[in-house]
Amino acid sequence: MNLLTDCERRGIRGRMRSNLKERVRDVALLMALACVACAATCFATGATGATGATAASAATATPRRVMRIGIAVDADSLDPAETDAQDTQSIAHLLWGTLYKASSDGKLDPYFAVSAKLSDDGRAYTFKLRPGLKCENGAPLTARDVAYSFDHPADPKLKFTGHAAGFVLPALRYTGTRIDDPLDVTIQFAAYNPIALGLIAEMLIFCRAPYEAMTPEFAASHASATGPYRLVEWRRDDRIVLERNKSYGLPAPPYDDVVFRVIPEASTRTAELLAGNIDIMSGVVADQIDAINHSGTAKVESVASIRRIYVGFNQKAKFSDTPGGRAIKDPRVRRALQFAIDVPTLCDALLRTPCARMATMIFPPNDKTGIRADPYDPDRAEQLLDQAGYKRGADGVRFALTLQTPRGRYPNDVNIALAIAQYLGDIGVKTQVDALDFASVFVPLVRKHDAGPLFLMGSSGASWSALYDLADFPAADGGANYTDFADPEFFAGWQQIEQTHDPAEQAKAVRAMMNVFHERGTWLNLYFLPDLYGVSNKISWQPRADELIVLD
Amino acid sequence: MGLTGLLAKRLLRSVVVVVGVTIVTFATLHLGGDPTYLYVGEHASAEEIAATRVKLGFDQPLTTQYLRFAHGLAHGDLGDSLTFHEPALGVVLERFPATLELTLTALSLALAIGVPLGVFAALHRGRPLDGGIMLLALLGQSVPSFWLGIMLVLFVGLAWHWLPISGRVPLLDPLFAGDWRTAWTNLPQALPFLVMPSVTIAVFSLARTARLVRSSLLEVLSQDYVRTARAKGLSERRVIVHHALRNAWLPVLTMLGLEFGFLLSGVVVVETVFSWPGVGRLVFNAINHRDIPLVEAAVIVFSLLFVSVNLLVDLLYLRLDPRIRLA
Repeated sequence: MNLLTDCERRGIRGRMRSNLKERVRDVALLMALACVACAATCFATGATGATGATAASAATATPRRVMRIGIAVDADSLDPAETDAQDTQSIAHLLWGTLYKASSDGKLDPYFAVSAKLSDDGRAYTFKLRPGLKCENGAPLTARDVAYSFDHPADPKLKFTGHAAGFVLPALRYTGTRIDDPLDVTIQFAAYNPIALGLIAEMLIFCRAPYEAMTPEFAASHASATGPYRLVEWRRDDRIVLERNKSYGLPAPPYDDVVFRVIPEASTRTAELLAGNIDIMSGVVADQIDAINHSGTAKVESVASIRRIYVGFNQKAKFSDTPGGRAIKDPRVRRALQFAIDVPTLCDALLRTPCARMATMIFPPNDKTGIRADPYDPDRAEQLLDQAGYKRGADGVRFALTLQTPRGRYPNDVNIALAIAQYLGDIGVKTQVDALDFASVFVPLVRKHDAGPLFLMGSSGASWSALYDLADFPAADGGANYTDFADPEFFAGWQQIEQTHDPAEQAKAVRAMMNVFHERGTWLNLYFLPDLYGVSNKISWQPRADELIVLD
Repeated sequence: MGLTGLLAKRLLRSVVVVVGVTIVTFATLHLGGDPTYLYVGEHASAEEIAATRVKLGFDQPLTTQYLRFAHGLAHGDLGDSLTFHEPALGVVLERFPATLELTLTALSLALAIGVPLGVFAALHRGRPLDGGIMLLALLGQSVPSFWLGIMLVLFVGLAWHWLPISGRVPLLDPLFAGDWRTAWTNLPQALPFLVMPSVTIAVFSLARTARLVRSSLLEVLSQDYVRTARAKGLSERRVIVHHALRNAWLPVLTMLGLEFGFLLSGVVVVETVFSWPGVGRLVFNAINHRDIPLVEAAVIVFSLLFVSVNLLVDLLYLRLDPRIRLA
């Protein structure tokens, strides 16, 4: 007897088919999961296998010596005519040589050149090149290549704006080169310049033939080396891999490979250092010093860099409208404010690194002026302000000022500015801090000499010359004279320097200029910025004041 | 309105959005001050600055400058990056695979984990499992991505050594170049690098997806047609998968388009924490350096992508829900 109708039978079959489909789907799902698990295991094994293979090959072959460096910012360009940023300069000096180079103690030593001779009129340097230098492609490096290394960045049609074209060549007042012999080249400039050799030592030397064959776009990301290393790979914002340049005609560098890893976040950089994935990290932030020093795997190395941190007193006429702006035009007031700031305490508390107060703008090892840093003496500051006629009012305020600071440009810059405002407030100078975006707001203001009336600023000098450190003040209307300082006694010093080629006479002129600068209280002197590097305990490496990462 | 008309309308709307984005981006960047200073050296004289301003056309009215910019855009020329000295669009497109890789992985994670969690929570409504999942979702939406990223770096990367701390092995780049063999070879090395950044970026979206799926499914489960399906004797799985989830998908799909934009904007922080060389970090640095052509190029690429994804979502909507076509 058939108890089920056709319709019911179809329904049961349909449900059975449906249940079967679901079971098949379950099995397929399980199989897919199993495949994923297998693949994951294979990947894991593959990764381990790769490491194992590397270890095995390392056991049999001589291990390559690799230096891994963690930096915060990627290279801006790998065109030797265009490189600019400080981290890029460290990479560039591994890829290309220079005629002379500054040693860690600030001496200029021969490098690609064996000698340099200044002409009698002081407007040319003749260099004799070291024999046996080669380009990366094996061709000999000659005077023609050196000439090209100057003429190429100087070519106005190519509109280079990097360190060479934007600073070195204009500062040198470069006019051209003369090739005297395959190994003799003369660099000419418009007028005698006492720091010419140091400026020339900042020019990277590269070979003409490979760069003539490159477009500017191609040259920006490809390198034809002349230095101890050659470029293997540049993965933008990730890493730059260099290996020993076999064509380098000088003694081989200490590492087979150098890897610059771009790690913008400071805590990630620290983690990579502590995990042993990098050997050197730049830009240790203050709150990670203890973590690194107590890790047992790395330590922090610090050095007072050539970067001067100061507060500028802007003396531009537009600030005379305010009582504070008028007050800081008075040199007695500017001198008084020097005594109000306890710089070593600022460094200890906010940079977590000891520092001495800057006495003059000259890097201390080159400073022969004998000027001593002003001590922290708020009573004296108050006394001097009283004498200058700026007595405290009923509210305890003498006058008010605005201190503009970039945000995030220098270590702990905003807090440093706030602390300065507090110190100034303690002696009755009410100070308001304006923290500004560096690139979009602060730089345009500073460039137009409109920052201030007080502004926190950093300015880089040199480890090899006192005169270089005065380069911010080439003339009263100089572009980098952001304070509009215009004392004729100070600027007359330049004429004395240019008229004599005698270093002792030049030093005397510098001393006189610095005395004027100090007495007028042109900058509120703070400190030479301490640079902090994390260094693995596996290596021995010392940082340099000029902020270059040099691997000797 | 027919399907073609509907599509044309959506396309037109997308074009208007992109044009609007270019105007806003251009105006925002150019109202921030005179960009001439970015093109001259630190020691440039007032005459040099003035000459550069004229040469680059920054002395012209903003409308003239915008029209010139729009003309360049139409020809794929957004000018050279100030920091890279290369065509800005090329620099952005070079980094694009890295960001897409991260975004797609995060989106896949958010869907692969968020949807089942939402379904489980809905099916166990009011029970401890539901409470637990919703608590996790709340946590996921509350945790800032930069904090989570740093915690992962410190614990998973540094303390336990389970995964690499930072960096990337290219995966989509060789694939886009047609070199699938390299992409396949790189895959085992690339995956461990992808995990931490994509988890960091996915957590918020995952939590939001789980909550949305749960609420959407709960709403659908109370509908008459679901009761009818159950009354027909269909298995609970079939009711959920074929009847309820299919309709619950619609709001999730809407969110998906927006989520893609959210993930793209969220990569800035994550790319920085994990040193991921993508467009997010590039834009961040470009803004810091006021590299106007680069910022413009990145914003336009992002907006084109965002608009395209949302257009795709609209099309899927048309496919999944016939009522929209008929409306």
